[in-house]
Amino acid sequence: MEASWPEAGSVPVRREGASAVELDDNIALYDDVGQLMILLNSSAGAVWNLCDGSRTVGEMVNELAEAYPVQAEVMGDDVRQTLRKLAELGLVTAGPPAQ
Amino acid sequence: MPVLDAHARAHCTPDLKALSYRFAVCCEDAALGAHVTALLSSLLDADLGIDAADGGGVGQPAPHRYSLTASPERSGAVDIRRDGEVVESGLAPGVAAGWIVWDVNRLAAEFSGEHLLFHSGGLEASGVGILVPAASGSGKSTLTAGLVRTGLGYLSDELVALELDGSGSGPGRLLPYPKPITVKPGSFGVLADMAPNMLEGEGDGEWQVPVGDGTGRRVGEPCEPGFVIVPRYDPSAETALVPLTETEVFFALALHAVNLLPHGATGSQALGRLAAHCAGYSLAFSDLDAACCLVLGLLGTRV
Repeated sequence: MEASWPEAGSVPVRREGASAVELDDNIALYDDVGQLMILLNSSAGAVWNLCDGSRTVGEMVNELAEAYPVQAEVMGDDVRQTLRKLAELGLVTAGPPAQ
Repeated sequence: MPVLDAHARAHCTPDLKALSYRFAVCCEDAALGAHVTALLSSLLDADLGIDAADGGGVGQPAPHRYSLTASPERSGAVDIRRDGEVVESGLAPGVAAGWIVWDVNRLAAEFSGEHLLFHSGGLEASGVGILVPAASGSGKSTLTAGLVRTGLGYLSDELVALELDGSGSGPGRLLPYPKPITVKPGSFGVLADMAPNMLEGEGDGEWQVPVGDGTGRRVGEPCEPGFVIVPRYDPSAETALVPLTETEVFFALALHAVNLLPHGATGSQALGRLAAHCAGYSLAFSDLDAACCLVLGLLGTRV
């Protein structure tokens, strides 16, 4: 995955095999392959939930900015940072480019 | 090499069951045989609500066997064979009994992989299960023993099994593994009334306290879990229960799950259902009786 990832047009996809458990406002992710369990807070969990391969990063940012208008200004940076972290952990990958 | 000599066959326990590990113990010495039988009688292969899965089904003889015979190397000592192989030799009889409890515990975990296992105490109150997950040295066994003394049903002080029924609709049942309660020297004082009858060498390190019929300590029934209580013994702490969030309960359980990895996504989803279903608390305690009172008060609100 390139250092500039994710660009606005890239489509992040959750890796199969990662199991998500919803807890309070958080999500626990258990990854059999990486033998990893991590806790996503509500913001990171919202990003994770949108990584279903149907949206570009730009669309994710717009959708979350609409849902959380108070944080709209920093939403782009936050989403990209979260996606980079999830990618580092092997929990999301770059899907096929948007058509 | 003979699997057992004729003498050792003379004083055998009935078939016993530690979750899915089914076994019997035969002793050459009658007194040791009676002692081991009394110590392990709570594991009688009666209906504990568990199906054995190791190829030795209910109704079949237990497939694993310990034999304790006189040690040729040391007068008064015994050698232990498991399934015909010498696994320990030259132990004092009381130490040998404690070693069997330890080894059975290890094999119970190894043979019961069909369940999600927790390093945890377990209790049952009016059909509601209580998990007490914690690391060694946190007061888990002491709190479990204290609660059993108040009349709660005993599931285990070490290894609690969550039945994975596969339907995914509920948390599943907690299953009893009523091994003798292991009490460490630091708790001898507060549990003095539970001091067991001991053989030579026994009790120097730990007590093995029998449970079940005739002991005044009730074995719990398989039950749906309702509470998770995470204990922490701290002699300087004020004894207090503090509610945990669902997330905190989940990670407390995950931290003490013995075999989460082999169960993968199924296990983590079961853990999530368990955390969602149970009320969770942390319990810092310096006073065992006060801690038990707090837990009983908590149960009174639900049971």
